[in-house]
Amino acid sequence: MFLGYKRPDGKAGIRNHVLILPVHRMVNSVAMQVEKMVRGTKISITTGEVGRSSKDRETIARTLLGLALNGNVAGVLVVGDNRYSCKELNHEEMAEIINSTGKPVELLDITESGGYYNAITSGARKAHKLVLEASYYRREPCELKDLTLGVKCGTSDPTSGVAGNPVVGKAFDLLVKAGGTAFFSETTEIIGAEDKLAKRCVNEKVQEKLLAAVSQIEAKAKATGEDIRNINPIPENIKAGITTLEEKSLGAITKSGSMPIRDVLKYGERPPGQGLYFIDGWMSSLSLPLGMAAAGANLFMYQLGGQGMPDLAPPMPAYSAGLITPMMYLTGNPRTCLKAEEFVDFCSGDIMEGKSSIEEMAEKLMESILKLASGTWTKTEIINLQDPVEFYLQDPCF
Amino acid sequence: MCKKEGLVLHEKDNVGTALNDLTAGSKIPVTKNQTITLTEDIPYGFKFSLHDIARGEAIIKYGEAIGQAKDSIKAGSLVHIHNTEGQRARGDL
Repeated sequence: MFLGYKRPDGKAGIRNHVLILPVHRMVNSVAMQVEKMVRGTKISITTGEVGRSSKDRETIARTLLGLALNGNVAGVLVVGDNRYSCKELNHEEMAEIINSTGKPVELLDITESGGYYNAITSGARKAHKLVLEASYYRREPCELKDLTLGVKCGTSDPTSGVAGNPVVGKAFDLLVKAGGTAFFSETTEIIGAEDKLAKRCVNEKVQEKLLAAVSQIEAKAKATGEDIRNINPIPENIKAGITTLEEKSLGAITKSGSMPIRDVLKYGERPPGQGLYFIDGWMSSLSLPLGMAAAGANLFMYQLGGQGMPDLAPPMPAYSAGLITPMMYLTGNPRTCLKAEEFVDFCSGDIMEGKSSIEEMAEKLMESILKLASGTWTKTEIINLQDPVEFYLQDPCF
Repeated sequence: MCKKEGLVLHEKDNVGTALNDLTAGSKIPVTKNQTITLTEDIPYGFKFSLHDIARGEAIIKYGEAIGQAKDSIKAGSLVHIHNTEGQRARGDL
């Protein structure tokens, strides 16, 4: 059980943000001014949509809408302008969809508000109202079935597949068995381990989707003409002792646990129900947290290896890249626990030392997750910094 | 439980993982019946071969192929990018 915010659509939140949501790149600056003026707001600065394919604009739209519908968001200020609207990115339609879920939403159209400075004033007033309304929320008891978690493994090292990722996998099993929802992703990093995952797909259709996602990304990798080791495993992985992509993948998939894979989702796509899902996405620390937040993750777990990181208080790979979804750092590497203690929220390094089992650590991890879900801040959430994020867009630009 | 120095993850594996910074000449117990003498230093987390591996033979970890030996690898040697190649997603082949 945890203490969360119950939203009108039945979703639960573990944070209580008002989201400032510019829908077109040209209105970002107005939205950024509003976000600076009003406490309690978070902004999703949108990426350039012009000169992009319809498929990529759909990905942007899906991601923006997903963020708005995340349970961690109490209310939304949608910012746009009719001059910039296109069929995929229509701010009025987006506001209507958000409104239909019962979530408080305000719409700010730049031209209709009387231009740049007037729009800022009008936007600040609307955001102010939304924040006041959000502050009426109180945390209430929620169950595990109301919780959605996402995971990524990063700066992986040989402890990742042995002591770090398997603990997350066991915690995912506990969550999914209790009716909750869990996401894992990083399509490149299941290459060489896809057969093991395919066996866990709920039906042939899902299995085909999973294998198709792998073939597509492998074909793209081959089309670069490069040895994949120039790209992935990344240099930190190789410095830490990971030799091939296949080895990295076999360690990486242990973070998914053992439950059936219900479906393969697109980047930013919301799942049709509860359970374990694979997201066809890019492993980037600046991209995946955003995509998982859009899919509905309340908490993003960053499972660090860290052996290849600098030895003295290294910076973390990302800070608050989930925007509205806090990032929790955890590691199975005892050496990483020590050097990155200021930012690591949970350490399962005792497994490497032979002092604890995966099962024991998974129970402790769940306790730690529930504290964070109930309002305790993650260590990087306290850092007043949000990395610039990257939407996962796959088509060429024109 | 006492801390082990080497870890073998699966019975099919032909490599073990160093659980400490191990030095050349150390005798590392890897299974009940097998001890490996290291021919070189193996840093924390890196892999060492459990027996002689022929050129072209699969390197097995987690019970699965993680790549292929580029050269013959003597038992107790470091197994890494200098003597092992991945097989998947290779655009250069």
